[in-house]
Amino acid sequence: MTAEGQRRRAFWQILLFAAGLLVLTAISAGSVYLVNRARDDNKWVVHTIEVENQLNTLLLELRRAESAARGYLLTQGESFKADHEKAAAAIVPALDRITRLTADNPAQREGIEKLSAAIETRLGQFSQEMEFARQGQFDKAAALVREAASTNTTSTIGREANAMIQEEERLFRLRSVNADRSQTFAASMTGIGSGLVVVLALISTWLVRRSAQARDDAEARLRDSNLNLEATIDERTADLREANDEIQRFAYIVSHDLRSPLVNIMGFTSELEELGKDIFRRIGGLTNVPAGGPPVEVADIPLAGPDRQMSVDFAEALGFIKSSIARMDRLISAILNLTREGRREFQPEKIDTRAFVEAIVSTLAHQAVEAQAEIHIEPLPAIVSDRLALEQIFSNLIDNAIKYLKSGVPGEIRIRGRTKLGYAIFEINDNGRGIDPRDHQRIFELFRRAGTQDKPGQGIGLAHVRALVRRLGGTMSVSSELNAGSTFTVTLPIAWNATNRNADK
Amino acid sequence: MTQPVSIIMIEDDEGHARLIERNIRRSGVNNEIISFGNGTEAMKHLFGPDGSGLSQKGNALLILLDLNLPDMSGIDILRQIKENKYLKASPVVVLTTTDDSQEIKRCYELGCNVYITKPVNYENFANAIRQLGLFFSVIQVPPAAS
Repeated sequence: MTAEGQRRRAFWQILLFAAGLLVLTAISAGSVYLVNRARDDNKWVVHTIEVENQLNTLLLELRRAESAARGYLLTQGESFKADHEKAAAAIVPALDRITRLTADNPAQREGIEKLSAAIETRLGQFSQEMEFARQGQFDKAAALVREAASTNTTSTIGREANAMIQEEERLFRLRSVNADRSQTFAASMTGIGSGLVVVLALISTWLVRRSAQARDDAEARLRDSNLNLEATIDERTADLREANDEIQRFAYIVSHDLRSPLVNIMGFTSELEELGKDIFRRIGGLTNVPAGGPPVEVADIPLAGPDRQMSVDFAEALGFIKSSIARMDRLISAILNLTREGRREFQPEKIDTRAFVEAIVSTLAHQAVEAQAEIHIEPLPAIVSDRLALEQIFSNLIDNAIKYLKSGVPGEIRIRGRTKLGYAIFEINDNGRGIDPRDHQRIFELFRRAGTQDKPGQGIGLAHVRALVRRLGGTMSVSSELNAGSTFTVTLPIAWNATNRNADK
Repeated sequence: MTQPVSIIMIEDDEGHARLIERNIRRSGVNNEIISFGNGTEAMKHLFGPDGSGLSQKGNALLILLDLNLPDMSGIDILRQIKENKYLKASPVVVLTTTDDSQEIKRCYELGCNVYITKPVNYENFANAIRQLGLFFSVIQVPPAAS
């Protein structure tokens, strides 16, 4: 699985989650809105019904007042009179309520104005009738009733009220439809939203399952590659080992084959030297011969003038050749020794490092006295390692410390040791001439040296030491400043296990 | 018994051969030196045309052998000499540049009598050969089994 794919999947998951959240929010907001609207619609429906109700109540009261008035005129019964007054008193409040209720509707307001006017007229007639009846002029009152019945006030009232009821019924239908629609809308919205959420959840689940699948696959692959890695490492190690062996063999063969011609060069140069001596002796003999006489056979006749110069030049040339050959021979020997060391099998054994280092120091005591150096050995941790390799490491480092002291300054060399996390750390510290930090890498390279070249050496010691330390599973480093002494630090495993390293050879 | 010892020198490097010969002569050894530049010719001389070594029967030989030969390994020559009933009594001096302890050990195991490493330092080289001359003068080279 690629990182790109993983990112894309995560992106889609987040997107789905966000979409789900959005849909839910929309549904909630929509529901709240729609519920509010439905409530409003319902309120209006109820309102319409109330208006209708009030109108009917008004008409009823009017009829009651009318019939009670008639009854009173017929019977003069006080109970009719009281009834009429009660009904007439209820008419105005009812009318007021309708006025209030229909204040929002201009069409109804118009109707109510007409209705109020008609009802006012009618109420005027009622009070006149009652006035006549109170004064006892019943015939006048009856005439008034007749007159009122003949006029169109009552029918106007009826008509207007009916018109209003019709209007309200129209509104009722309209509002019912509205309310229904709101509810249906809310229901369908909830339904669709829920469906959408379910779909999103399903997609989400599918994605999660797919990434889980991808993760399982990746895990399986990881397990496989871990197994493969072991095999690959073994393979590579074998390759490296082979390459290393190859290099060792190569170095070995090359140095041998180089040595063979060197034997000739050196041999015949020496022969030539002898020959040269003979020739110049002969020349000396000949130049000293008195004219005509036989050559004088004297060994050491001193040469004179140009002959002498020639002899000196000859000897010098041969001297350079011989010293170069000797140097080359030393280098070749060094390479041979290094390859031989590289092929030697190490034998781990327990070493009392302090006694061991003391023994090395005692073999170097002569040089130390010559260099006016004092060597202090501090307590050192015992380790398990190869004795010969360790001896070469310490003797090289201590030898170097003695060799590169500052002239005229009494040397002080300290060998310290401590342990840390399974490793023993040894420090060989001196107050010698020190090493320029620029040369810290260089000094560990084969045939490379640093600083004033006033001491004999091939530039092999430290390269050799580092190779040994590495083979022993350790590391080494140097810290030094020019003219401020050096400290070489060697870190070695306390309990070195030969099996894992010898297996490399 | 009075038959003079011949020195068989098997050495591919002419320079080395010349230096060895010169130093042998300087040490006062005047025996015949038969020189071979490769293994094949030397083997032909040592073992004869039939390869049995019968032709050398009764001859007193001393063999100087270089291990690094162009056509065959000196070790092989050493082994064959020491396995041949007519030649195995002849002393073999291995004179080579190889100073590997494994190689030296192997040569002695195969029956080499002296192993000398050719030093680059000519004085040492000359000394080694001259001591070999001394060695020639004291050893008794037995005639091969008759």
